[in-house]
This record gives sequence, C-alpha cells and structure tokens, in this order.
Amino acid sequence: MKCFYNEHAYDYPFSAVSLAYFLRYPNRYSRHVLSTDVIEQFIDPNTHRLHSTRLHLKRTKIPLNILKLVPKRLGGSDHSAQSYILETSVIDPTQGWMKTESRNLEWTGILSVVERQHYQRLLASENAGALDGISLDRKSEQTTVYTNVTLRSRFGQGMVFGRRNDTDKKEEDNKTGLLSSLSAAGIERTIELIGVRRTRDAVSKGKQGMNLVLERLRSGGIMCVLEGIRQDRKATLGP
Amino acid sequence: MAASIAPECNEIKEKYDTCFLKWYSEKYLRGNTTSNECEELFTKYKTCLNKVLKERGIDTMLEDARKGSSETDAEFLKKS
Repeated sequence: MKCFYNEHAYDYPFSAVSLAYFLRYPNRYSRHVLSTDVIEQFIDPNTHRLHSTRLHLKRTKIPLNILKLVPKRLGGSDHSAQSYILETSVIDPTQGWMKTESRNLEWTGILSVVERQHYQRLLASENAGALDGISLDRKSEQTTVYTNVTLRSRFGQGMVFGRRNDTDKKEEDNKTGLLSSLSAAGIERTIELIGVRRTRDAVSKGKQGMNLVLERLRSGGIMCVLEGIRQDRKATLGP
Repeated sequence: MAASIAPECNEIKEKYDTCFLKWYSEKYLRGNTTSNECEELFTKYKTCLNKVLKERGIDTMLEDARKGSSETDAEFLKKS
C-alpha cells in the first residue's frame, strides 16, 4: 500500500471553492472525464449539511507492461480503458468545510485508488463575520485543502477484478499461471509506484482545473463558467 | 455542465444542474440551508438515469461499492 499526501491553499473564499468543486468538469486539464452524473443529493435535516454522490466516467491510459498482464476485454486498442469513479461529498457551509472521497469502481484488483480531500475555510476569514454568499472578489480569504490518496494493488492475490465472472476467472488463471515465476509482490509494488506517479500528476492537474474554474467565477460569475464548460466540452468531444 | 453518461438524460440533467447551481450559490451558501428547491427536477433526472444505470449493470456495481466503503466512510467522518 502507498499513500500520497498534499496540502494546498486556494486564494478564494470557501463558498467559491465549494462551488468550483461541483463545476470542475469538464475543463482543459481534465479532458479524460467523459461524463458526470448526480446519483444522490440531499440535505441532512438535522445538520443541514449537503450530501452528494456523483458518478464520473473517466478514460485511463494503461501502461503497456501492465496491459500485457490483464485480460483482453479490459484493454482498448489504444491502451486506454474507461473507468467509473464514485465521488461522495459532504458540505457544511456554516462551519466552512467540505469532505470528499473519490474511488475507482473497476480495476480495483489491479489498483484501488481512494482520494480523500478536506477543504477548510481559513480561520482568518471567519473574522469577516457571517457567511455572505460567494464574495468572489475578496482575495484575502483563503481555503485550504488537504489531499490524502491511498493506493493499493491486490494483483498478486488473484484479484484482477473487483467483480468477476467465470470467463474472467479462467482467463485470469491462465495469465496468473504465466506469472508464477515472477514475484507477485514486486508487480504490486510496481503498479503502486506507477499509481503514485500518476496521482502526483493528477493532483497537480486537479488544482490547475480548480483554479481555472475559480478564475472564471471571479471574472464573470457562473455564466462565464458555464460558457467555458461549453467550449471545453466541444473540445473534448471533437468537431 | 458535464455531459450525462446517458445522452437521453442530457436535457433533464442540464435543467437540474442549472437549478442546482442557482439554488446552491444564491440560497444554500447564503445560509438558507433547509430545503433543496430542485428536488422535483432531480426526481425526473433520476428516473431517466436509473433506467440506464440498470440496463448497463452499473446499479449493482454502485451497491457493491457502497457496502464495501461504508465502514471506511464512518471512520473518515469520525476523525473530524
């Protein structure tokens, strides 16, 4: 198992950052996100916190040496595969925090990635008094985000799939048979290290995407963000 | 907003997304946190989406994921 940790501060108030979180796809740093759907959304009647569950479909590029090890039907011809990501979030606008968790639903045997983020309004901004909506131009307000990613491969435990059926099992057995001379732990470590490298890159791109959305919010409000999304979506889907 | 996984739900999704953003930024974030005004649109969007999730077997995948992660979620929230 490997862990990745990162701390970052956005120069925007919490309200804007939490709004940008919902608006962050698609953007030019996340062209691999194909779709986003809201599965569940409700307010807890006691805490008044907003709970959301979203499902993203993302395109993943698989390194060639790993592609050789996985059953054929999973790999696309261009070494890419699609993967569902489940994202849950809880927001408390009064206390000024948001907690999110994203995990992949497929490929979990090869590599299970769980990203947890904790967004927190900086204490200094609380001196400004009660929450006054999206005060986007107040640059003095900041929001910190703590990101924690856990990566775990169970490749050596014969768990290529999160779910499996008989055909998968048969093909999987053949593949793992070929691997018997190799160290399963070594393969897991390699996969996890590739995962960490990609995570570092993904977290950095995620910040760039958030900053792009926040900048659009500051310059033109939600309409500007939606227009930007329309353009980014066109670029993603192609002509 | 981002596209839906099901093209046939894009229209209702866009209506819901627009409603949600307006409500979230103008009401919820300003302290009016008791009700979500977009529930009716969400029900319609969900009806459209659930059909597709079922057809593609995504609903069972979601259920499995929820069962598997409920324990870790509880631990995570406890830490606050």
